Amino acid sequence: MLFSETAGRQVVSATEARTVGIVDGFVVDPATASVVALRLKKTDGSGDTLVWEHIHAIGPDAVIVRSGATLGTPSGELAPLADKHRSLPGKRVLDERGEALGTVSDVDFDADTGALLTIRTTTGDHPGKRVLGLGPYALILREP
Amino acid sequence: MTAPTHEPGPASSSAMMLASEITKRPVVTLAGAAVAQVKDLVFDGTAGRIAGFTLSGRGLLSGPLRHSLPWSGVHGLGHDAVMIKDESVFESRADVLERGSAGRGDVLGSRVLTDGGTDLGRISDVVVEVVEGTTAHVVGYEIASSDALDRQGRKVFIPLSETTAVSGEALVIPAAAAEFVADDLPGFAAAVQAYRARRRTEV
Repeated sequence: MLFSETAGRQVVSATEARTVGIVDGFVVDPATASVVALRLKKTDGSGDTLVWEHIHAIGPDAVIVRSGATLGTPSGELAPLADKHRSLPGKRVLDERGEALGTVSDVDFDADTGALLTIRTTTGDHPGKRVLGLGPYALILREP
Repeated sequence: MTAPTHEPGPASSSAMMLASEITKRPVVTLAGAAVAQVKDLVFDGTAGRIAGFTLSGRGLLSGPLRHSLPWSGVHGLGHDAVMIKDESVFESRADVLERGSAGRGDVLGSRVLTDGGTDLGRISDVVVEVVEGTTAHVVGYEIASSDALDRQGRKVFIPLSETTAVSGEALVIPAAAAEFVADDLPGFAAAVQAYRARRRTEV
């Protein structure tokens, strides 16, 4: 599933059938090359971050959250990853030799596990497994 | 934004870069943070290798940094960034400078003479060959050509050889090197190959 098609989707709680927010962004951990949380907008104010473990399903029309799931503010290991400067779409891409590979245009991820499958850049597609680092300046891909 | 694509080359991929293009390049960690930019190259004078880089901070108002990047800390030297593992590879500026001579000031502007006594022009830049993005050495000079080369004063590239004698004032090259002048960097890569092949047969 693509970041671009998931963004803007309604996030609905399974128990109360109530909308808790709209998908606004993705928190990615470069160490595991996977999505570890969703950033939401239009929440009730209790927080804007939904960790992956609290997601029941990412479906074609809505994201369903588990019963008892709560939104929070990024804390612990998640805090530095949730920094807006680490958002993938539009991010500059470099390989580990210092050659530019364009910017991130979209990301294909596994809706079941959160694993990044394909990084789509303005110059071509790269397997998610190549992700080496993600910082304020660039996404770094390892040599194939 | 469009960026040039650099196809992953064959096993022995090498790239020619001008020293002036390497300065200002960002120094980026494998974690994706830009932590400095290259201020100047430090050359190991005798061997013509890059010994390291002095650094400045990123941004208009930032000045030179107290730490520098030794070549051993370079993970990759590419067209768009100098990659390092993390900031632990930095060393004090004094330690890096000790390994060579900073800058290109010592050769820039020097006159290039053949051993036959012809003035080919003045050095305007240093050409560095980067192999596999991990080793780099000086392979030649960009010169603003004199009338002797019949290039109407354009910038041309000449290969360097081990027998090159250099001082702050002039550089004397074998007359044969003048036959391997190239008009651009892609052409220069071929010229360097041809020049090396010629020198091997002479020895």
